Amino acid sequence: MTSYLQLTGISKTYGTFAALSKVDLAVDKGEFITFLGPSGSGKTTTLMIIAGFEKASTGDVLIDGGSITAMAPHERNIGIVFQNYGLFPHKRAIENVYFPLQMRGAARAEGLRKAAAMLDLVGLKDLGSRYPKELSGGQQQRVALARALVFEPSLLLLDEPLGALDKNLREQMQIEIKRIQRALGVTTVFVTHDQSEAMSMSDRIVVFDKGRIEQAATPLDIYHRPQTKFVAGFVGESNLIEAVVTDAGSRLATSPALGEIEYAPSETAAPGKPVMLMIRPEHIRLSRRPIEGRRNAAMKIETIVNYGDNALVIGNSSGVPMRVRVLGADVVILKEGDDCHISWMPDAVFPITA
Amino acid sequence: MNRLLLSIGVFAVIFIAAPLVIVVPMSFSNARSLQFPPPGYWLGYYQAYFTDMRWLRPTWNSIIIASGTTVLTMTLVVPATFALVRHRFAGKSFADLMLLMPLAVPHIVMAVGYYSFLGKLGIVQTHLGVIVAHTCLTVPIAFLVLSANLKGFDRTLERAAISLGASPWRTFIHITLPILKPGLIVSALFTFVQSFDETVVAIFISGRDAATLPRKMFDSIRQEADPVIAVVSTLLFLLVLAGIVAPPLWKALRTRMKAPALSSGDFQS
Repeated sequence: MTSYLQLTGISKTYGTFAALSKVDLAVDKGEFITFLGPSGSGKTTTLMIIAGFEKASTGDVLIDGGSITAMAPHERNIGIVFQNYGLFPHKRAIENVYFPLQMRGAARAEGLRKAAAMLDLVGLKDLGSRYPKELSGGQQQRVALARALVFEPSLLLLDEPLGALDKNLREQMQIEIKRIQRALGVTTVFVTHDQSEAMSMSDRIVVFDKGRIEQAATPLDIYHRPQTKFVAGFVGESNLIEAVVTDAGSRLATSPALGEIEYAPSETAAPGKPVMLMIRPEHIRLSRRPIEGRRNAAMKIETIVNYGDNALVIGNSSGVPMRVRVLGADVVILKEGDDCHISWMPDAVFPITA
Repeated sequence: MNRLLLSIGVFAVIFIAAPLVIVVPMSFSNARSLQFPPPGYWLGYYQAYFTDMRWLRPTWNSIIIASGTTVLTMTLVVPATFALVRHRFAGKSFADLMLLMPLAVPHIVMAVGYYSFLGKLGIVQTHLGVIVAHTCLTVPIAFLVLSANLKGFDRTLERAAISLGASPWRTFIHITLPILKPGLIVSALFTFVQSFDETVVAIFISGRDAATLPRKMFDSIRQEADPVIAVVSTLLFLLVLAGIVAPPLWKALRTRMKAPALSSGDFQS
């Protein structure tokens, strides 16, 4: 089976600056895929190339096996929700949603009926006669979504659509967007720099950095099995320990500072290979005394950042800065400057070879 | 202190408004020439204005010229504004400068220039000649008004329309143009008024055949001080007053009529 949306060898250069280099990606039909990365990483450029608003310097975009690279953006049948929604201020909500149908030559009565049904689906049944400025941010967002979906696009692109909303509304809209996307089964590309958004919404996350795809994988894989140092550092918090593989059979690597460390099964680790050993802060346990059956190390607490239900304890273990996630109740007895022990299980240590 | 400021303010307002108000009673005067206060009142000069071809023809000329100037100005300024606001090209800042030049150059200097230049083209003392000259004067104002509007235009709206299946041309017709409409109307109105009101260039170029209303008034006040001038001034004054008062009034009326249709459902924000 071939993929529904395919990017093959997409590059984009501005003069001598390479905004994108050799991006390859395959997305299945109905998949919700998220482009995650810092600003300037190339995620938005890739989205705009799919939409047709930017021209790729090289490479091809295919939908359902056919190339759309040569098509004008208005011929591509792709729905887009923009960051600031792009609702037409001179048209009522329902006329906004009707617009794409109008452009496709739909009969007015039939088109308005469809638009009303779509407004109903996004939860704005009675607000069709409002102008955009008479709607709240969340409602405008829903109108924009309805408008991008009403013409049954072959692809839905969401360009940081939740950026302008406050936190509560944002979480509500994340759930809404997922619900609507599932109900319609539309293949969706979502761009964001917010990792928790990416984690909670996506079937798959594509992490971008410096115009390249660092990793494309499920949210769980991105979090627990990052392929590159960048992904490990960008997604979630992590401790990265420099080491060299000494014994691939017994899965041992040696860190100059912390000595021998056992790591989780890995296919890419080979003897003599330099690796980054990643341990998530929540996989490390903090204790007064060493704990038997675990790999222990001494640590001096330097800073405690309290978040209420949990705290991040930042310390120093033989010159290596370490971060440890501690649940709320344990924070009370910890003090900055305390000497303590950290420990972890070998399965919590993931070697990054790239 | 406050009292002093207040009296200065009142005095300034009176000083500015007095000439406007004085022409109104003078237009009803029965004196032979402009005179204040009027010795008696009648409507004879209104009758004179509306029946005398020596006044009606310049009025008509002014309307034709102002309309022609508006059409020509907008035809030039709309594409020019889009080009200068949205695109970068070689010579852009030079084009910007040339477009705004007529604002800086004194009208009398321009008038002399047009007189000889349009003379060479053989269109001095014609409607076309005045329209061309007026267009040069109105382009910068129309451009400034419109470019301010266009700079504030959110181009995401155009991208949104295109993504929804509208060709660039239909995007312009359905989205860009309707949203810019207020700016276009204001720009055209400024142009019309500026041309209608323009005197210096009109005196040099309009001649006898294409004489505009301001020119006729100027001639008249020099030669005979005909009180019809006060009539024309009063009528123009009323027209402008109506132009200022009408739009907000219209808007208020419209929102009052629309309000019930929109009040269904409640705002959640």
